[in-house]
Amino acid sequence: MKLLKKLPSLVLLFSALLFLAEGPGGTAEKNPQSVQVTIRTILAGNKVDEFDAKLKGMEQQLKSLKYRSYRSLKDDSKVVPWQGTQSFDIPGGRTLTVTPQEFQDNRIAVKVRLTEGEKPVVDTTVKIPNKGNFILGGPPHEGGVLVLSISAAAQ
Amino acid sequence: MNTCETIRESIGSWLDGELSPSASEAVRLHLAACSDCSVARQQLEKLQLVVKDELVTQAASIDFMPFWRGVQQRINRKRAWHEDLFEWSRGFLTAPRIAWAVPALIVVLLALFSLDSYLPGRGVRDNFASVESIDAHGRSVALLREDQTKTTVIWLYQDQEGENETAEEASKSGPTF
Repeated sequence: MKLLKKLPSLVLLFSALLFLAEGPGGTAEKNPQSVQVTIRTILAGNKVDEFDAKLKGMEQQLKSLKYRSYRSLKDDSKVVPWQGTQSFDIPGGRTLTVTPQEFQDNRIAVKVRLTEGEKPVVDTTVKIPNKGNFILGGPPHEGGVLVLSISAAAQ
Repeated sequence: MNTCETIRESIGSWLDGELSPSASEAVRLHLAACSDCSVARQQLEKLQLVVKDELVTQAASIDFMPFWRGVQQRINRKRAWHEDLFEWSRGFLTAPRIAWAVPALIVVLLALFSLDSYLPGRGVRDNFASVESIDAHGRSVALLREDQTKTTVIWLYQDQEGENETAEEASKSGPTF
């Protein structure tokens, strides 16, 4: 009976907690400690018709590039602290350096630098939606082009 | 407490007909057998009679008409809207109702947020990234926003003389969005 009397209060408390947990702007995402950066390296070409099954989740994004073949070369994921830098080896003696800079409005600002040996290829700063990605493509590789999917998720 | 004391405490209620049938019968039997308690009963009956007579005498001299007129007026008076609202809200805003209404409201709001992803054209999350700065170190670069998947694409064109001579047509021309 005591529990029955307290039921309305318990329901109210539970719903308030539910709202805090699920509601927009929940506290969980406000002060992320680090960023999970994932780089997917894909070789796109026009020699054959081929689509790597490993890339199923990116099919729509990749097919908009209008190449005939897409093959996954490498997936790499690292946890990077804010203002910290992590390097990812990219086929063809290239290196991709990623520096997460800030987290604002559920978007992650990352500084990205692609080098070929010692030579810089591109330097860019991009604001990605949390758990989203962008594509950096164009460097030639093995008769095709490299397509890099760079995604970031605040943790 | 002995039986007589208990019975004497119950005599008033017995006279007013407030006891249960079994308790009433117990009192009646005891009064028939106990002369002391029967005397107490007679005294109480006399007292009740005196009080009743006095009340009737006093009540006759009181003018109740203004009182009943006031009651009648209050019954007939049309209440203002804010009084109606207050009455209604007082009945509605009880703790158990609020306790159930708040989670119900939250469930409805969450359902509306979820519904957004099922609406036509809303299924694709806005994945557009904004490019704050870009330096391709002399190369041509294209910045594209692919609407269907809401994806931002930075495309590097290898068009510098003497660079990437092995690159094939695919890399020279770039994608056709």
